[in-house]
Amino acid sequence: MITLPTTLPAILALAATLVPFLGAALIAALPRDAGKWVCQIFAAAAVLIALCLAWIFEAGGFESAHTSLIGLGSTEILGLTIDRVSVLVASAVIVIGYLVALYSIGYLNQGNREHPDIGRRRFYAFLLIFIGAMAGLVFTSTVIGQLVFFEITGACSWALIGYYESPKALRSAAKALIVTHIASLGLYVAAALIFIDTGTFALTAIAGLPASQKATILLAILIAAWGKSAQLPFHMWLPDAMEAPTPVSAYLHAASMVKVGVYIFARGLLSSGGAPEIVGWVGAVMATLTLVYGFAMYLPQIDMKRLLAYSTITQLSTIFLGLSFSVFGSDLAFKGAIAHIFNHAFAKTLFFLVAGALSYTAGTRLLPQLRGIMAKKPLLGVGFAVAAMAIAGVPPFSGFFSKFAIFAGGFQVGREHWPLMVIAVIALAESVGTFAWFLKWLGTCIPGTPSEAIEQSGPTPRSIQIVLVVLIIMSVASSGIAAWWLG
Amino acid sequence: MTPSSLPLFILAGPLVIALAILLLPARVMSLRACEAAHVVSMVLVFALALAMTGQVLGGARLEALASWLYVDSLGAIFLMIIAVVGLMTGLYSLGYIRHDIEVGHLDMRRAKIYYGFFNLFVFTMLLSATANNIVMMWVAVEATTLGSAFLVGIYGEKTSLEAAWKYVVICTVGVAFGLYGTVLVFSNGSEVLADPHQAVLWTSLAQNAASLDPSLMKIAFVFVVIGFGTKAGLFPMHAWLPDAHSEAPSPVSALLSGVLLKCALFVIIRYLALMVRAIGPEFPQTLLLTLGVLSVVVAAMLFFVQKDLKRKLAYSSVEHVGLIAIGLGLGGPLGVAAALLHSINHSLAKALLFCGSGNVLMKYGTRDLDKVKGMLRLAPASGLLLMIGALALSGFPPFNVFVSEFLVFAAGLKAGHPWLMLVCLLFFTVTIAGFIQIISGSVLGKTSEGAKPGDVSAATLVPLGILAALVLVMGFAVPAPIAKLVADASAIVLDGGDPVTVASPWQFGGTTLFADDNGLLATPAAAAEPAAEKETK
Repeated sequence: MITLPTTLPAILALAATLVPFLGAALIAALPRDAGKWVCQIFAAAAVLIALCLAWIFEAGGFESAHTSLIGLGSTEILGLTIDRVSVLVASAVIVIGYLVALYSIGYLNQGNREHPDIGRRRFYAFLLIFIGAMAGLVFTSTVIGQLVFFEITGACSWALIGYYESPKALRSAAKALIVTHIASLGLYVAAALIFIDTGTFALTAIAGLPASQKATILLAILIAAWGKSAQLPFHMWLPDAMEAPTPVSAYLHAASMVKVGVYIFARGLLSSGGAPEIVGWVGAVMATLTLVYGFAMYLPQIDMKRLLAYSTITQLSTIFLGLSFSVFGSDLAFKGAIAHIFNHAFAKTLFFLVAGALSYTAGTRLLPQLRGIMAKKPLLGVGFAVAAMAIAGVPPFSGFFSKFAIFAGGFQVGREHWPLMVIAVIALAESVGTFAWFLKWLGTCIPGTPSEAIEQSGPTPRSIQIVLVVLIIMSVASSGIAAWWLG
Repeated sequence: MTPSSLPLFILAGPLVIALAILLLPARVMSLRACEAAHVVSMVLVFALALAMTGQVLGGARLEALASWLYVDSLGAIFLMIIAVVGLMTGLYSLGYIRHDIEVGHLDMRRAKIYYGFFNLFVFTMLLSATANNIVMMWVAVEATTLGSAFLVGIYGEKTSLEAAWKYVVICTVGVAFGLYGTVLVFSNGSEVLADPHQAVLWTSLAQNAASLDPSLMKIAFVFVVIGFGTKAGLFPMHAWLPDAHSEAPSPVSALLSGVLLKCALFVIIRYLALMVRAIGPEFPQTLLLTLGVLSVVVAAMLFFVQKDLKRKLAYSSVEHVGLIAIGLGLGGPLGVAAALLHSINHSLAKALLFCGSGNVLMKYGTRDLDKVKGMLRLAPASGLLLMIGALALSGFPPFNVFVSEFLVFAAGLKAGHPWLMLVCLLFFTVTIAGFIQIISGSVLGKTSEGAKPGDVSAATLVPLGILAALVLVMGFAVPAPIAKLVADASAIVLDGGDPVTVASPWQFGGTTLFADDNGLLATPAAAAEPAAEKETK
């Protein structure tokens, strides 16, 4: 039975999902020039809705709510979950979606030195669908809903990564789609198992199952999560996805595609009412392996975007680590992981968009060719520095606080399980290593006399500047917001 | 059973019009008159099928000609598939054939033959879906071969004639096995039934199935699956299918792939229902499951390597027929309902894509994917429709194929075949890769040189638009009547008893059968619940 939501938060959550889809349909129907403006309007509308929702939710004393949208008897097929986690993540996803849309106006035009382009309707339509699908994924309360939105984001990422239509871009796009689809089989299994075992699709039904079935379902979800979050053994799509236009890379890597994975795992754990420890062991071990692998891959990279891709992989491993620690009973690690989803979203978007601004104005994103950014382009220089610090976890930037919570949680549970202590130490070492490595590039690229490419760079478009300023502020402030929000 | 004349009318309409088009001389039947008669016939079929489905939904089971014709929920589903896809491809034919005449692929005489045989083909398919007499069922399926072979070879070129011959030879030989199966069932039935004359009717056989000889029935079912499976395109009897589907005019390819394969499957489902009653579900289901998995595995690989758009689509049909067989083979209310829903969904999506490939042919004059480039820039509407079709058929939500694929998958897990299902889904991932190649290589990208921008005529776009809308609607929310039809039909297949008097768990209240936003049928859920309870106890 389809029941329309009656409470205001539920209506807003539903609207945040549907409004972008409407915008995408409108873009397809209108001529090309209108596309980018329609995209702005609808993305901005989604931001307004999300912020209203956050405000009402906060004013209501963070009252968690669950609304069933579609169901039959006790079989819930689609519903909305509104709690601290979903509202926080949804706000980040939608706000960053809008910032990316705004940035794209400045980026996708003939003035771009790396990829001159005219800004096709396809780009803006799929970006909007992406925002809507992400909002839907975050709010949905059922596994089947997660699966649907999981696949829609996969299709969107394919369309956006292949946007330039070069053979390499199309190959990378197909790779992203196929790899994440193979991983999605985990969600197929999870959805079918929950349905068969409990007769409903609601995630909360996991809590009522015996431990062995719980573990099977959560591990199936975890496999799907690895796929989207580019963890071993599904990591290979992400570095190739750099063929995408940079605003898309930013969105994929910071706020949307890769966050699908960690989010569904977090949601699964949250709904399971105490997960079996095996899930934590598998999650923690794989996260550590990915962490070490990702860090090793930093070293040979000279393309700024590829370096960022591997940095994304390790950051997500850290989040997985936090979630896995929480299985052993550390609430702090769970909150740290959620906060890190939020913080990393803003910091990584900033980093990618700085990279995009550099390739827009200077025509290159090869790190050795970028020197003396500060002298010629102070805004980009500051953005680069803030993003690097935030990613590496230097106080007072945002990454520090959430990473700190994750490690503290790790040491907490490590007292009872010595292997977890080892893992936490490895992760800490990786974090220090990342810091050193980013410091190295920071020292090479930011100060000094401008290199040839930087010297001859063109002006930075206005919309790009606005977006960067907002993100720089958020890279400092997001941690505070997340900490206050999660309590 | 309710006597009704509607089954007679729906058969008579296309038959009369086919004969009129074929027999009347050209000065009476100009091209325009042929087109008009053709449209009238298709609309008539659609309206009558709709009327009959309405009655069936109301609980009636229609019969005519002393029970030789019989329409229940199962038949109604397939009638609707024929009617809807027939109407859409019929309308699409108008623009397509005119274009072929313009560029000189067809002359007026052949266009007339085309419309005549198109109607004859639809008539034979309707006959197979309404037949209750098992011999007539066989005759009807055999007749579809004759009706469509002329359509496959209509261009009269070497390749198309070869394809038509191959089609006729393989299918008649194959369907001959179906005759052995039919005769075995009939002869055994006439021995055990009180009234031997009734042994030719499916309904009376189904009622007395328990007294049929089990070992004979096993042999008969093997024959039936080989025979009608040839026509349905199941591996390893699929060899005719890629040739015939790729050489036929595109609307006919759509009809072959979307409807004809389903008609053959329909006959298999009728026999499956008999076997479930006679020898229990285990043997027939294992057979179907094996053939289904083999079809999926082989077709996915062959699909991937094809360079010809229509051959690719043909192999995709083999794969989806395989999936339907898997659904039937898994059994249980969930599996059968998923298989039936997948029949509907695949028909719509495949018709969309085959007609879309017709637009490619009209625009580029070739089906070679290496030469077709930049469809979206050249003909945006066709490109978009092609893209929707490809995404739908590769099983992405929110399109319809996703829903039924997921249900088949869930049925497989429920039936205890998790690894088998994972293997199937992995092979479906190969299909996704293939469709992505089509989109990225041919729909997107720079346009081929020398091609003129501009879309094909609206006459060939509107039917595709409607099909695309149906694909989306069925993915978003399966309409309640369809959900009910599928539930009732799976009860018929599984011997769920008389749907009117027995309150099966999946039809309580009669109104709770509806669909949801994700398009999942609510029905199997309700059916699964008591089963799950039993298992946990």
